[in-house]
Amino acid sequence: MQWMTIFKKEMLEYWRNFKWIWVPLVFILIAIMDPITTYYLPKILDTVGGLPDGAVFEMPETPPVAALMMSLTELSMFGVLVIVLTSMGLIAGERKSGVAELVLVKPVGYFTYITSKWGATLLLVWVSLIIGLLTSWYYVNLLFGDISFAALLQVIFFYGLWLTLVVSITTFVNTLFRTPGVVGFVSIAILIVMSIFNQIFSNKVTWFPNNLSSHIGDMLDSGTISGDLWGTTFIIILLIISLLFASLLTFRGKEMAN
Amino acid sequence: MEIVELLPILAPIIIIEAILAIVALVAWFKTDETNGPKWMWLLLIIFIGVIGPILFFIIGRRQQ
Repeated sequence: MQWMTIFKKEMLEYWRNFKWIWVPLVFILIAIMDPITTYYLPKILDTVGGLPDGAVFEMPETPPVAALMMSLTELSMFGVLVIVLTSMGLIAGERKSGVAELVLVKPVGYFTYITSKWGATLLLVWVSLIIGLLTSWYYVNLLFGDISFAALLQVIFFYGLWLTLVVSITTFVNTLFRTPGVVGFVSIAILIVMSIFNQIFSNKVTWFPNNLSSHIGDMLDSGTISGDLWGTTFIIILLIISLLFASLLTFRGKEMAN
Repeated sequence: MEIVELLPILAPIIIIEAILAIVALVAWFKTDETNGPKWMWLLLIIFIGVIGPILFFIIGRRQQ
């Protein structure tokens, strides 16, 4: 099957340029950094010194849910940045170097080409996310208190959808421009605009994709999946599907024009 | 509070950073062409923890 062929070629490339090693490692670092520094801040301050004698420094107690949410906040910043930067050449790079033409000369459908590359990136992102959050969950249980494994699975599932949306946005922008740098810049610009929009209207548009993290936080606190969370999930899946079809349309248009 | 007591927690982070740096060095060794002088990337990978190797993986190597 052609889809699998391109998918496998992509996997091979990820091994050759070490993505399968460094992306998961970086996700682990991003996910555990904040919970660990928060826990050890008083001790680090003690060790490094600088506080006058007798200074009492009361740190507010961090509940386990808040600690796990720290990982999500960091992933939303740096994890998303890593995803955009690694996938900005996904299609644009191949078109620039002419590999895309070589592939598309063969009877490979545009949709097959786009979805197989999208799927390969998703596999890398989901595996990295799972490894990163598992490590963070381990530390949170160790340092802050219990969070059930079932809750972690829910977090991974819902948060993974957000990262899937990020990959879909980058894939779409990939079909618009030929230079990877431009793709990276425009994708990040889109994400920043979405985040600003969310900060202004988050109360009114509760189903906006960027609200996903806060709904996940509510889910962890209350133990139930709210209607808002399902609504946001629905919107995100709808956006992912439309972005894929939009990619197909622009990509086909561009390739025909050449 | 001694720095030694922080070690069990900091060890995994240090190990991950070390693996990143080693993998980046292997990749550096294997690449013929880099963006910018090749020796500069060696310095970045070795002396700037985490960020150096990541930057090298993302923008350091020239494709094909």
